[in-house]
Amino acid sequence: MIRVGAVGDVHLGEDSRGLLRPALEKVGEHADVLLLAGDLTRHGTVTEGRVVADEFSGLPVPVVAVLGNHDHHSDQPDEITRVLRDAGVVVLEGETATFDVNGQSLGVAGVKGFGGGFAGKCGSAFGEPEMKAFIQHTMGIAESLESALGSLDTDVKIALTHYAPVPDTLRGEPPEIYPFLGSYLLGEAIDATGTDLAVHGHAHFGAEQGMTPGGVRVRNVAQPIIRSAYTVYCVEPAVAEV
Amino acid sequence: MTAEQYLAARLRRALAEDPRTTELGVRVTVRGDNVLLSGDVACAERRDELEAVIHEVAPELTVLDDVRVVPAGEPGGREELR
Repeated sequence: MIRVGAVGDVHLGEDSRGLLRPALEKVGEHADVLLLAGDLTRHGTVTEGRVVADEFSGLPVPVVAVLGNHDHHSDQPDEITRVLRDAGVVVLEGETATFDVNGQSLGVAGVKGFGGGFAGKCGSAFGEPEMKAFIQHTMGIAESLESALGSLDTDVKIALTHYAPVPDTLRGEPPEIYPFLGSYLLGEAIDATGTDLAVHGHAHFGAEQGMTPGGVRVRNVAQPIIRSAYTVYCVEPAVAEV
Repeated sequence: MTAEQYLAARLRRALAEDPRTTELGVRVTVRGDNVLLSGDVACAERRDELEAVIHEVAPELTVLDDVRVVPAGEPGGREELR
């Protein structure tokens, strides 16, 4: 069994420095790895990135993060990524990270994700350049997620995103804004790759639990949803079919 | 009613776009002379900032603040996925 700690949307800044740290100091008692599902900062500044780095550095378990839309607001995602990596946080955007947990292998593939909407109610790469760019951004990210997940050959595979791969975990958000909260293309990538669990954030008014059309568990770990410094999911490797 | 909807939209955008708040996770409901704020923020200072921004954009409204500070403690349990 692998214990996966996860939280998203912590939105740290100087005014909230150290808030999570007391709970994080004991993360090793609860989890084997800690996933951060984006929106780590408020304005996406490097200064806020340093607060995040201080908050999550030196923990007894590996920390794996993706960035969110807030972390892009100041157009400095590369700098924030560098600050986090310098502090020992694994930051993924189309990449994977693998860990050995008590003899079982865990693989995490991460992307920010983006919007576009869900099957039957989604945008298309058609018309104005702005609209095409919007959908093509999601398409590129979903391809990158599928490629990363597909490259993993681990006992347990987890997809980590900021945006939602399914509408299930958006229940509570106004349906009109679903296209800004996620995309079915992310879910399709997850379903195509034998993934065991998908973890995302972004939807503060959504719901924690959902499932992809292919039967993969989806969890929305936005901090306003889980109402703690992080939550924990215990994942067993799927029994291999003979 | 129409004016209330436009006002609520303006206030919501102000909370999202003003650098003091940048909160997309706060609901804004305008009813008559009252504006209700609901949702979660990371710390108490951010609640005060929300009220300040709303007051600047619509000083005539009374702010009813249901915004909560999100708990940041250790998890109370864990979910076993089977």
